[in-house]
Amino acid sequence: MKNVVITGATSGIGLAVCESLLLSGHRVIGIGRSAESSEKALSYLISKTNDADITFFNADLMQMEEVRIVSAKIMEYIDTNWDGKLDVLINNAGCVRSRYCTTKEGYEQQFALNHLAAFLMTYSLINPLIKSKGRVIITSSESHKGMKIRWDDLMFTRFYRPLMAYKQSKLANMLFSFGLNDRYSVYGIRAYCIDPGLVNTEIGLKQTFGIVSLAWSLRRKKGVQPDVPAKTYLYLVESDKHPVGLYIHKNKPKEYSSYVNRENADRLWKISEKLCSIEFGRFQ
Amino acid sequence: MNVVITGAAGGLGRAFAVECAKRGYNLILTDIFEDGLKILKEGLIRRYDINVIYYACDITDEQQIEKLKEYISIRNIYIDMLFNVAGIDHEGAFTQRSFAQINDIVKVNIEATLRITYMMLNFKRTDEPFRIINVSSLASQFPMPLKAVYAASKRFILDFSYALNEELNEKSVYVLSLCPGGLATTKSAIEGMAVQGFFGNATSNRLEVVARRTIDKSLRKRRVYIPGTLNRIFSVAGRFLPVTMVTRVIYMRWKRALSLRCSM
Ligand SMILES: NC(=O)c1ccc[n+]([C@@H]2O[C@H](COP(=O)([O-])OP(=O)(O)OC[C@H]3O[C@@H](n4cnc5c(N)ncnc54)[C@H](OP(=O)(O)O)[C@@H]3O)[C@@H](O)[C@H]2O)c1
Repeated sequence: MKNVVITGATSGIGLAVCESLLLSGHRVIGIGRSAESSEKALSYLISKTNDADITFFNADLMQMEEVRIVSAKIMEYIDTNWDGKLDVLINNAGCVRSRYCTTKEGYEQQFALNHLAAFLMTYSLINPLIKSKGRVIITSSESHKGMKIRWDDLMFTRFYRPLMAYKQSKLANMLFSFGLNDRYSVYGIRAYCIDPGLVNTEIGLKQTFGIVSLAWSLRRKKGVQPDVPAKTYLYLVESDKHPVGLYIHKNKPKEYSSYVNRENADRLWKISEKLCSIEFGRFQ
Repeated sequence: MNVVITGAAGGLGRAFAVECAKRGYNLILTDIFEDGLKILKEGLIRRYDINVIYYACDITDEQQIEKLKEYISIRNIYIDMLFNVAGIDHEGAFTQRSFAQINDIVKVNIEATLRITYMMLNFKRTDEPFRIINVSSLASQFPMPLKAVYAASKRFILDFSYALNEELNEKSVYVLSLCPGGLATTKSAIEGMAVQGFFGNATSNRLEVVARRTIDKSLRKRRVYIPGTLNRIFSVAGRFLPVTMVTRVIYMRWKRALSLRCSM
């Protein structure tokens, strides 16, 4: 039995992962964007599983302040209920936008939620992860390929291209996992990115309009149901030893972009530290 | 360059703040939400090497404006640019809104804008230009049933800005009115555009582009900026078509959009 924290647990891939984790008897903390979506997910999960051990916390994770607050609450929960040990953190919350939208901090929303929230959440929960030599899983995507980081304009303030901003955020996921392994594998931690494939969820229909929502409503029909990628998460959660690989698809390591290297990972790491105003691990 | 932004914690205000910070301007931010200002300041100084200060106040309250004035004057700050961004709307039929709501639109969009402008002009540097950006709206271009008070308040801002610009031009005060269509700044704004379908999408503007071009245009002493080709066409058409007809068409469109939205 593993102790798992998962973000974006209220719909799509995250909800399916919760369901399969609970059915296999693991203990789960889910994070939802609002009390409303958490309650809905909770009653669904309870209806599907008997004596599920699941607790929900709510936070709008694109606001770094809320990541801080909710992670402090989760730390407290882990200390009292899980003996201070976290086996797996799954950073899965993500969004798509059709226009340039900013968070309260003035950060571009896809970058803030898809990358920075994962960065800060992992930082905040690193101690319980170290304690159990745990794993960090991030939902990345094939769309990280063929993409570069726009170092001179990370938040796309010049001319916003929604899809490019999304692809960049998924590339950032890869670079973050790479950097995390560099810094924390000596503590026994291991980071992975999962490619879920094309999945039929509502991600491209939430807070979008025009071409983005139209394109997604057509494209998602070709996708698999969320319980398909959920199997890969379960595999990474349950494997006895840390499986090999960084980028995983259908339980197997997969090739990833050559842009994912130490130099770029370090560069993004420094910027992310600054944007979250934290210092997150030094090379050992 | 020292810049004041009202309504700085909202979507458009934040976009202006980021754009100014990118250009290295120092910022004085105000809004009614203190929390938003504090967080925005943190986000800005992590990314850019500029000075940011903020003062939360209700700009419809005369006494609080006095305190804001004091806050600026004891710091010996001169101001080069003012963004009047704070504005509100309570959409819906005139008689279905409370009078307090109606009055609030006038108080924020008109009275507070005048008060802030009047006050900030005190901090102009002699012999240096002072730029004012007043956020009007595409709604200022036509009478708008179901947004009647809002549209008229934005018309007031537009006319006032033209006149003030003329009056103070020789003192190198330059006033620009920004008349954007829809901006995807909040969840409900995005939903509003989505239900308007094609036109919602076509008349909406890109926030980051609007922020950048507005500043460019103000620096070039332009007096009005209507972003988006379609919006400019609408605005010109509105001038040539009979006003009764324009008003009727707009009424049909809003009625439909509002009913779609309520059924969502
Ligand atoms: N679908 C695909 O084909 C595909 C492919 C590759 C990668 N991915 C990635 O998979 C992940 C999950 O996406 P999905 O397809 O399952 O979409 P989804 O159903 O929209 O799930 C996204 C989850 O994130 C949550 N979320 C959104 N904004 C949030 C915020 N501000 N704060 C906290 N939580 C927030 C959502 O909450 P609500 O339930 O309240 O909306 C939801 O639980 C994303 O990272 C996405 O980039 C998806």
